Amino acid sequence: MRHGVTFQDGAPVTPDAVAASLRRTNPAWKVFSEGEAVVIERDFPAPNLPAELSLARNAIAKRDGGRISGSGPFAVSQWNPGKKLALVARDDYWGGRAFLDAIEIELGKSVGEQMISFDLGKTQLIEVAPEQAHRAIAEGRRIESSAPMELIALVFGRDSQLPEDARQRQALALSIDRDLLSTVVLQGGGEPAGGLLPNWMTGYAFLFPTSIDLAAARQVRSEIPHTTSWTLGYDPADPTARVIAERIVLNARDAGMGMQITTASNADLRIVRLPLISIDPQIALNELASEIRLPQSKSAFGSVDDLYAAENKLLQSQRVIPLLHLRTAHEVSNTVRNWRTGRDGSWLMPNVWLAAEKP
Amino acid sequence: MIFRRRLLAVFALTVLVSVVAVAWSISSFTRRAFEKANEERSAALVAQFRHEFNRRGEEVAHHVGTIAASESTTRMALALIHGSPDYGAYLNEARAVADNHQLDFLEFIDNQGTIISSAQWPAKFGYKETLALTATIPKDAFLKQEELPDGAALGLFAVREVSLGEKPLFVAGGRRIDKDFLASLELPAGMRAMFYQNLGAGFFPQFLIDASSSVPQADRIAPIIQQLQQQPRETTTLVHWSSNPADDETIDAIPLAGRDNHLLGVLLIGNSRRPYVELRQRIRAAALVCGGGGILLAILLSGWAAGRVTRPIEQLARAARDVASGNWNTQVPVSSSDEIGELAESFNGMTRELLAQREHLVQAERVAAWRELARRLAHELKNPLFPLQLTVENLLRARQQSPRQFEEIFQESSSTLLAEIANLKAIISRFSEFSRMPQPQFQQIQLNDVVQNVARLFQAQLRAPECAPIECKLELTEPMDSIAADADLLHRALSNLVLNAMDAMPQGGTLTLRTRRDGGLSYVEVSDTGTGLTPEECERLFTPYYTSKPHGTGLGLAIVQSVISDHGGRISVRSESGRGTTFIFELPRNLDKLQGSDKPVGAPARSH
Repeated sequence: MRHGVTFQDGAPVTPDAVAASLRRTNPAWKVFSEGEAVVIERDFPAPNLPAELSLARNAIAKRDGGRISGSGPFAVSQWNPGKKLALVARDDYWGGRAFLDAIEIELGKSVGEQMISFDLGKTQLIEVAPEQAHRAIAEGRRIESSAPMELIALVFGRDSQLPEDARQRQALALSIDRDLLSTVVLQGGGEPAGGLLPNWMTGYAFLFPTSIDLAAARQVRSEIPHTTSWTLGYDPADPTARVIAERIVLNARDAGMGMQITTASNADLRIVRLPLISIDPQIALNELASEIRLPQSKSAFGSVDDLYAAENKLLQSQRVIPLLHLRTAHEVSNTVRNWRTGRDGSWLMPNVWLAAEKP
Repeated sequence: MIFRRRLLAVFALTVLVSVVAVAWSISSFTRRAFEKANEERSAALVAQFRHEFNRRGEEVAHHVGTIAASESTTRMALALIHGSPDYGAYLNEARAVADNHQLDFLEFIDNQGTIISSAQWPAKFGYKETLALTATIPKDAFLKQEELPDGAALGLFAVREVSLGEKPLFVAGGRRIDKDFLASLELPAGMRAMFYQNLGAGFFPQFLIDASSSVPQADRIAPIIQQLQQQPRETTTLVHWSSNPADDETIDAIPLAGRDNHLLGVLLIGNSRRPYVELRQRIRAAALVCGGGGILLAILLSGWAAGRVTRPIEQLARAARDVASGNWNTQVPVSSSDEIGELAESFNGMTRELLAQREHLVQAERVAAWRELARRLAHELKNPLFPLQLTVENLLRARQQSPRQFEEIFQESSSTLLAEIANLKAIISRFSEFSRMPQPQFQQIQLNDVVQNVARLFQAQLRAPECAPIECKLELTEPMDSIAADADLLHRALSNLVLNAMDAMPQGGTLTLRTRRDGGLSYVEVSDTGTGLTPEECERLFTPYYTSKPHGTGLGLAIVQSVISDHGGRISVRSESGRGTTFIFELPRNLDKLQGSDKPVGAPARSH
């Protein structure tokens, strides 16, 4: 344990406090303090444990009733769930006081409201939809994008029961024009997904070709005597998902398969956004599997081959068809200086400062 | 009463027929008027729909023309000239423009028929649209079925061409014909518009909508749709939505065809029959009320009128019954001078005349009775007087001619004189007795006891050796009800009848005494087997002083009748020539005439 680290209420960060915080968020772990150290014992080898510990959910915090105290450079001064988070710089931060005095993050604002607020100078940073990032850059705006950290995929509600069903899923996967979805619908804000994880994370090539193969799709379709007319669900609050769904319906129809879009929750398959919560591929893959209710790999990936095999196994289940990997993008004001983000798009705030606006 | 009912029925029937005739006339007139108004309203609505349809078409064409002439469309056309389109740049273009122009459908299409941007299906970029590939672009708006991600919709479309060079750009826009379109139609109360989108053969209820939402019981419309699918022409049908006629609706169906005359949809104008049915029900209710009131009024009026007409007749009938029962002194009031009044006057005159006739008859009978009495008295008195005269003359002659034998003759004549004088006294006594008939002293008695006493009394006389034998038979009903009567008087009356019967059988025979009861009355019959009476004798039998016997006074049966009459009874005779005579008298129980507690008494107590 580093000495001199304190929570925002002034209490020291001790091995006991760290162990208590980790036990709370990871009940399956065996965590205890031993002198100046914190010991974590797992049921299986966990070479990615440091990456796991860096996940947001494993942040060291002290919970005093409903109040949370962290050990970072900023302290929570106001938390209105879903609406507003206010942070103030800690003068007693062990790493030195941040340059910014306070940060206010407003949640639940529409894109239009954010842009108006930004253009009026009331806000120094706003969220930008991936499909709008390209146009914003073309307009000369300062856009900061992450590496692709979100997967848009088709997820089936159940496993394929019959060989015809599996063939129809294969035909659907072949009929989808990911390139047009990436270039037209997302306008460069995403990349065609040839696997569950992006290439930059895994280091190996696509697990399947991303380009449309309508001839192969029709061929597979022709091998099925009778196809099922699926319903394709999407989030009605996500206009991009609707356009993607409509395009997939057209692609499927070109391959000879009927499909109806719906906003109902009991659709045969749905378009879902799956955030990759870690830059560690194994953690990201396991989290994805958990999200789409597929079995996670319990064994540690000793090599890239193991990771490839695990990812391929998930795809072979035919429960999920990857479509696109999206970047997260933000427009940052020119008054924001020393702005840096992590590879996953996380904000590194302690060294950020605001310059005076030009008259 | 029957006459009054007939009168009432005639009045009521007249009113009822009148009300029914009026109600039927009004109902028929209303139906014709309503159907005419219904046709006019439907025609007006159809005309309104056509006008609205054309207006919407012109509006759509105007908006599409405006979009085609806009700067953004011009830029898009120029971009197409300079190279292949950037679909991503125009992905949301059509939808934004459509929203600005309040269009439901808008597509930008290049000269190859490729969709550059689509408002209704943004993801359809790059796909072909045949609309722009037709030889001639229609100037006016037209109906078109548009495929959508969630199905298909019918729209009113217009197409405009933007020609800036060799590669023209087509703008196709339209508005959806849906429930909002139907809601925009200003319909009179009681009318509604429905729309069926024809996506294929057969009827699909989910494609039938009205201004609010889907139409319940849509299958009732199925025959209309199927008829139009076979033969697309306007038709009118009456649809029954429920068993209540007020829910019926007249449906005017108008086929809507596209540019290729293919049936794309059907507009259905519903005209509720509820106002007509309710009006008809109100008329019927009013007719019922009027009819009921009329019948009630008819009852009152007919009662009043019949009363006026029949009351004098009823009074006449009642008076006639009184006259028939013997009350001849009956008069009816004369309340009018019409035929009824004349009849009443005649009746009163008749009763007056009858009274006068009866008075005259009574007088005549009284005179006749006195004459008969005088004759009888003369006859009765003359019989003993004649021997008296002869005896006295014989005495006088004996005194003058045979004084010696006078004493002997005197003795003989004296006994004769005394006998005849006794005979005179007896005659006078009977007349006196008849004039002094006592009033009955009512006691509770058993009639059978009286009859048995009388039979016992005459037993010896009936068996007397000097007379022909007469058998006495008693046929008594047991038990008889006890009655209130004077046993002595009844004994006397019955004895008279027995004596008469004995006199009627000088050659012997059978005397039958019979009692019976019937309907609260007690009957006593005295029958003989004598020669019988003639009908004329039967008629005069109870007349005082009338007798058919040579030595009778004619008072016996008169006394019997008087006794029976004083007991409230009646006496009659039934006789058959050669077979005998039967006297029958009936007596009521007379228990109301008892004074105090009386024991049944059978034996006579009064001396005769």
